[in-house]
Amino acid sequence: MQEAPTKSPTGFDLKFGTYEQAKAMIGTKSEVLFSDVDVNVPMIKYYAAHLEDANPSYWDEDFATQAWGSVVSPPGMLMSWLMPLPWKPSGRGVAPLLATQVPLPGDTLINVSTETEFIRPIRAGERLNVTDEVADVTPEKQTRLGKGHFITTVATFRNEKGAVVAKNTNVMFRFSL
Amino acid sequence: MYTKRYAQRYFEDVQENEALPEVHLEVTFKRVIQDAAATLDYFPGHHDPEYAQTQGQKTVYLNTMCLQGFIDRVVTDWAGPYTFILKRKMTMARSVYAGDTMYGKGRVIKKYAHDGRHLVDIGIEVGNEEGVCCPASVTVVLPSKNG
Repeated sequence: MQEAPTKSPTGFDLKFGTYEQAKAMIGTKSEVLFSDVDVNVPMIKYYAAHLEDANPSYWDEDFATQAWGSVVSPPGMLMSWLMPLPWKPSGRGVAPLLATQVPLPGDTLINVSTETEFIRPIRAGERLNVTDEVADVTPEKQTRLGKGHFITTVATFRNEKGAVVAKNTNVMFRFSL
Repeated sequence: MYTKRYAQRYFEDVQENEALPEVHLEVTFKRVIQDAAATLDYFPGHHDPEYAQTQGQKTVYLNTMCLQGFIDRVVTDWAGPYTFILKRKMTMARSVYAGDTMYGKGRVIKKYAHDGRHLVDIGIEVGNEEGVCCPASVTVVLPSKNG
């Protein structure tokens, strides 16, 4: 049975429950989530500007076309492409974070580690989608930040043709102070 | 078509144990807000100092996607734009806060050929005035002078 989501100041509809309920979610896959936008040059330039990254793969279309076939997404933008726009006419989408849907007591979360494998360059004009899977939930642990559980998820990113572009293994700490 | 040439480090140029040039970035409050916008990440710890403090943080802090991009920049500033990031692992040991100056430094761990590709493993450390915040390791594919 699904519990009603509770509004949390985190901006995510965090699910609350027990560790037993959380463990039962190991192996659960999310539905396919689609990006609101194509991989696009203006957002690529904004991100590269934010980091003061002069890599011409993001700035120089002639160079990028010759090197990669087109301007490419900075690898660090992988997860950004799946973040929902803050508003859209059909209603706000959900963040592609299955970890927020694992029922646990903690009222906040913080990212701990991320391991990403890139299969091929992500080119401007592609439209990405993602499926996320719960790989592990640890028993309660006490850390410097508080008491909580570590959730490991594995996300597979594909382009609109179904080709896998990247895989992300993410560990998040869901905790209470 | 005229294509501007950019400096590129080839596999043969790389020495194991060589240090990458250090990169610095001032993490102003504005840059942390810019980070939320650039990555569409409106988790309140990245734009609301009061919320960040309820999490036990000093103030707003950079998100994962920003640190990932900075790690990649440390690598590609050194290696050049024909570099393909194949793998990156990063751990958030401590946060990088608004008001900090962030540094990134790296060292070549190993170079090797695998499946016909020329790979280099690099150890990266991102930190602030108080020390290491985000240890990382990156594997890149570099072009080879031998095709």
